[in-house]
This record gives sequence, structure tokens and C-alpha cells, in this order.
Amino acid sequence: MAREATLARPLARPLLTRRAREVLTGYLYLLPVVIALGATVVVPIVRAIQMSLYRNVLIKPQEYGFIGLGNYARLLDDDVFWLSLWNSFYWVFGSVSLQFLGGFVAALLLHQSFQGRAAVRTLTLLPWIIPGVVVALIWEYLYQPNYGALNDLLARAGLMTDKVAWLSNPSLAMPAVIATNVWRGVPFFAIMLLAGLQAIADELYEAARVDGAGVLERFWHITLPMLRPIIVVATATRIIWTFNYADLIFVMTSGGPANATQITSTYTLLQAYSNLDFGYAATLSVVLLLIMLAFTLLYLRVTRGVEPVA
Amino acid sequence: MDERWRLSRRQILKGMAAAGALTTAELAWWDEPLIAPRRAWGAQPVRFQFSVPEPKRTALVESLAQRFNQSQKDFEVKVEFVPQAQARQKLITSIAAGTPPDVAQVWDNWVGEFDGMNAVEDLTPKVRDWSGYKDVLPLAWETVTVKKRILSFPWVVTNDGVYWRTDRAKEYGAKPPKDDWSFDDFLAYAKTMTKPDKNQYGFGMRGQGTWAVLYATEFMYANGAQVLGRDGKVAINSKEAAEALDWYLDLFRKHKVCPPSVPTDGWRGIVEGFGRGVTNSYIHNSGSSEEQKDFVKPENFATVPLPFGPAKKRSSFYFSETLTPFKAGKAREGGFKFMAWAMEPEPHFMYSKTLGLLPARKTVAERPEFTRDPALAGFIKSFPFSIVSPYLAHAGWGGKLDSEGVPLFQQALVGRLTAREFLDKFAEVLSKNMS
Repeated sequence: MAREATLARPLARPLLTRRAREVLTGYLYLLPVVIALGATVVVPIVRAIQMSLYRNVLIKPQEYGFIGLGNYARLLDDDVFWLSLWNSFYWVFGSVSLQFLGGFVAALLLHQSFQGRAAVRTLTLLPWIIPGVVVALIWEYLYQPNYGALNDLLARAGLMTDKVAWLSNPSLAMPAVIATNVWRGVPFFAIMLLAGLQAIADELYEAARVDGAGVLERFWHITLPMLRPIIVVATATRIIWTFNYADLIFVMTSGGPANATQITSTYTLLQAYSNLDFGYAATLSVVLLLIMLAFTLLYLRVTRGVEPVA
Repeated sequence: MDERWRLSRRQILKGMAAAGALTTAELAWWDEPLIAPRRAWGAQPVRFQFSVPEPKRTALVESLAQRFNQSQKDFEVKVEFVPQAQARQKLITSIAAGTPPDVAQVWDNWVGEFDGMNAVEDLTPKVRDWSGYKDVLPLAWETVTVKKRILSFPWVVTNDGVYWRTDRAKEYGAKPPKDDWSFDDFLAYAKTMTKPDKNQYGFGMRGQGTWAVLYATEFMYANGAQVLGRDGKVAINSKEAAEALDWYLDLFRKHKVCPPSVPTDGWRGIVEGFGRGVTNSYIHNSGSSEEQKDFVKPENFATVPLPFGPAKKRSSFYFSETLTPFKAGKAREGGFKFMAWAMEPEPHFMYSKTLGLLPARKTVAERPEFTRDPALAGFIKSFPFSIVSPYLAHAGWGGKLDSEGVPLFQQALVGRLTAREFLDKFAEVLSKNMS
């Protein structure tokens, strides 16, 4: 009887190589994020760009149509837009720089050990926890020239004789809303920087102390470089947020008086919901996006990204 | 707390009624429907958007909806409350998305915009067949008529008048404002009533929001100015308008009879300023009269018409809070029935009286609750010379008044523009947006 030989059958060659399968699996894992980001970020941006190329005033549907760069040309002649852009820079850099300074000081203080530190840290977060609209209403009341607490305190302290109209005077309105925003934003920087401070190894400071480094030298050569990644990320995100942040100004001054606090994001709202000019509002949004993109690239280049210094 | 153990107001009231602890007579008008049976199943829902500035309105409108639902079985009104500041924005976005409510409470100056968006329908034939048509004041119909088509029901109406402090006028020896007072009398009153050492100012001028420009325009009309000339062109930058505006702005700039917060004082600012005793007069519609009765007390204030200007003229802008149905609404028949029902004498009276606004129906407006209330006297006396706001003439003006007119006006207030410069720029804005 002939013995049957067992022959090994070659395995079917897979359609994809092992490497290709691995790569594909990786991309499949990413797919939900891509879909979510595409639907919530990319599509609205593309839609806004498309809308900015149309004349789209809701109360004039008969005039709806493609106008190319017409809205962008109109923007060049719009004095209020240029004023709002200038105000936006004033608002953003005034707010973020002071928030950063205040936050840094607060973080350094909260990093020290003292009794009740946990409670103080929690309390420090309070302004950040309160919703923006509520903060705006509280400060609007504090600034109220006729019956607000601020004027009353200054008068009682003998620092003021005439009532100051903080939000109604065009020269004071922007500093006043910036001060409110600083009060609200300091905890954000304080907590971020405090987390960074806690991650710096004590050995570094001890070694520096042994080498004879003073307080300022330790701060300059250890604390600041070690915090740099956090500083870069925190300031960049805060700048972007503040540029788009309209709640405070909208509630406190509505962009007034006489456009003194009109920033580009409140002006965009005004165009969309007062004038119902969605084409022009989309144009303002696209310009704001481009400015933010350019700024972020420049900022990351100047600060050499978030990689720690070698 | 476990949801199962929470009782709604309806359940509490029903329980109390069942226990005999409550009689219908003891209930507030707006609580009564809550103990009655609900509507039958299968009724078509009617979406009604209402903007809520205060809890009293919420209870009142909820009650109106319940009463309507109990009055018939085919439709069920569901109220969608939205904050007043977002009401217009919500409507615009829902219209753009093709999902507007069936009916909404809308200010008359928005109706033209919605017509421009092709979102509202011509109600003229239906309204003319409605039993109460002839009882509604013709001027009220005018506020909701665009291009000779009636687009809404004028739910309640009002006009502008001057609120003033009777008690303090006596205390400071000020000449009390009379029905036929003049610009000079107005200034004299404001000066006498300004006491900076007591943190009191004679007049609470409005500097924020559309009505800041409207109130200033009323003073311009008192000097013979017009927004539109006879040729249909913008004529607001006339000599008469500039003179009157200069005089008006000087109340704040030169005479200092207004508080320093004027450039950012919106309606809340002027109403609260008077209510807290900071200002001793302000211009507003009758809508804040009920609030002032709580703040200042009824015996301490009164209302009077706006003063005569140098041209021996005066005006008060008349406007309405409307019930407006939308073309894309799914329950148009139910929406119309609800609006017609809300205009019936009882709900119409309760709504107007509770809010301090004036009824659009003549028979209701003639009731003593309105005619004998001193807080409303200034408004009722202003009816003979009231006109529909001239800024309703073009739909494109509504938003521009807010976005461009107000910032320009504020520039004039703070001295960055003269009255003449403001009017020239403002006229340019209006001319560009005639539609």
C-alpha cells in the first residue's frame, strides 16, 4: 500500500504585507478622531471660507450670490474693522501679558509651603471657575459709576472726588475690561505654572545652591528654562482664546462706548446678528483665523517650539 | 433628591385643591389653569417662542398657553422660553435653518427684517375676517404692516413718555412737569433735580441700544425734523435736527444733568438708575411702570408726555410687541388660532395689565385699570401725537441702527463728533441701507 505523503500546503499569500496591515490598523484607530475633527473643525472652516466669497445678507435673499473677494475688498475700506483689529491686539496683549505676570507671581507664592496652602490654592481658582458672563455682570456692577463698589471704595479712601465712569469713558473702558479679564485669567496661568514648578527636581536647585547660585540666578537658569514648554503652550493657547473671547466685552460694554472696546470677534457678532450680513461676518472670521495661524507659527518659531532647550 | 419625590407646582396645587385647602378664588390668575385637566391626547403641537426678561412673564405666558390648551382639543401650545437678548438671534438662525417656531413674540422692528428674509406670510385676509379686527387701534395695525400687508398681530402697544419723581420735585421745589411743557421747562426741571452731592441727576439719558437713537430722534422731531423728506430721501441731517440734537446732547455734555454712565446705559441702566433713586427722570415706554411701582412706589412718581420743542411740535414713537407666525412653521392653523385667542379680551387684558403695556384693542384700553392709572397717564395722553417709528420704513435700517447708529451716537455723546457730524454720518448709513 502506497503511503500517502503529507504535503505542506503553502499558506495563501495575504493581500497586504504585515507592515501595510500594521500601518492600516494604526490609521483605522485614528479614523474616529479624523472624522470628529473633520466634522467639527475642517468642515466649518471650509464652509466659512466659502460663505466669505458670497454676498449673503439674510434680509436680502434676492441679492445672494458669488462675489469672489468682494467682501475682502470691502474690509480694506472698513474703518471700524481696522479699529477693531487694533483694539483686539490691545485687548489680547494687555490681558495675556498681565495674566502671565500675575499668574507667575501667584504660582511662585503657592509653591512655597505655608499653613492652609491647599485652601488658598483652591480659592485662587475661583475666578477661573466662574462663568464669563457672570464675571462680566459682577464687574459691570463693581464699575458702575453711580452706585458701584469701586467708586465708593475709592471715594471713602479719599483717592477720588469726582465719580469715574469706568466703562462709559472711551479712554478707560478698554483698560477696565482688560483688568476684569486679568482677574479672571490669572488662575489659569497660576495653576499651569504651579504644575510646572512642582515637576522641577529639587536636586537641581540644591546643586545650584552648592555652586553658589543666588535666588535670581536659580530663577533665571533653572526655573525659567524648565518652565519654558509650559509657558509657550499656556501663552499660545491663552492668546488664541482671548482673541476669540467676546463674552466679557459683549456683556460689559457691547463694544462701546463709541467702539472703544470693539474687538474683531464682537464686531463679527455684530455683523452677523445685527446686520444679518453673514457673508461679511464669515470674511471677518476667516481673517481672524489667518491672523491667528500666522501668529501661532511666528510664536512657535520665535520660542523654538515647546522642546526643552538642550 | 430622588426625582420621584419631587412635586411640580402643578402637583402641589392639585393636591391642595383636592384637600380642600385651596379655592380657585385664592389662586393667582396665572395659577388657575394648573389645577384644571390637561388637553386631550393627539393635539397638534404649536411651538411658541417667547423671550423672558422676568419670572412674572414666565408664569403669565405659561398660564396663557395652558388656558388656550384647555379651551380646545386640536392644538397644544408649547412655550419655548429664550433670554430676551438672544431672542432675535435665535429666530434668525432658526429661520436660516428652516426650523422657525410656529409663532413668536417679536418686536415690530424685527417684522420687516423677517419679511426681507421671506420668512413671514401675509395675514391680511385672515386678519380682516377675524372678529376683533375693527377693535384693534389702526395705529397698532400700522406697526405690523409692511408693504401694505399685515404680517403679525400687535399684541400690546406702547409709546414713549417721561417718568419723573413727584416726591423729590416737591422736596427740591422744582416746577412739576406739565402735559404741555417745553424744552426749557425740561432743562429747568433736570437742573433743579440734579444734586451731585446726593448722587442724584435730573435726567437718565440712554446711550446704549437702538432706543438711544430713537429717543434723540423724538427730540429732533419736536424741532420739526424728519427722518425721511417728502421726496422719500433721508433728511435727518437737517438744520432743525442738528439744533435739537445739540440741545439734547448738551444735557449730558454741558449741563451735566445726567449721570456719567450715560454712554453705556441701556434700558436696564436707565430703569435701574431711576429705580435706585440716582436719576429723577427718564424716557421710556410704559413697560417699566410696573417695575417702578415696586422700586419707587406708585405715589412717588408719575409720567408725562415728551416736551414741546422750539417748533411747537412733539412726537412719541409708537411700537408694538407682536405675535408673529412663520411661513415654515408646521402648525400654521394652530398658530393662528392661538394668536387670535391671545387677542381675546380676557387674556389680552391680563397680559397687558401685568406687564404695564397698553392693550391694542380699544375696548380693553378703555378700561379704568389703564385710563385711571397715573403711571400710565403720560402714555395715554401721548397717543394723539404718537407716530410709528420712522425707522420702520426700511427693513435694512433695523440692524444698522444698532451696529452703526449707536456707536456714532456715542461718539457724539463723548464729544468726538459734533451733532452735525453725527447726523451727516448717520444719514449716510441710512441712505446706503434703504431697501
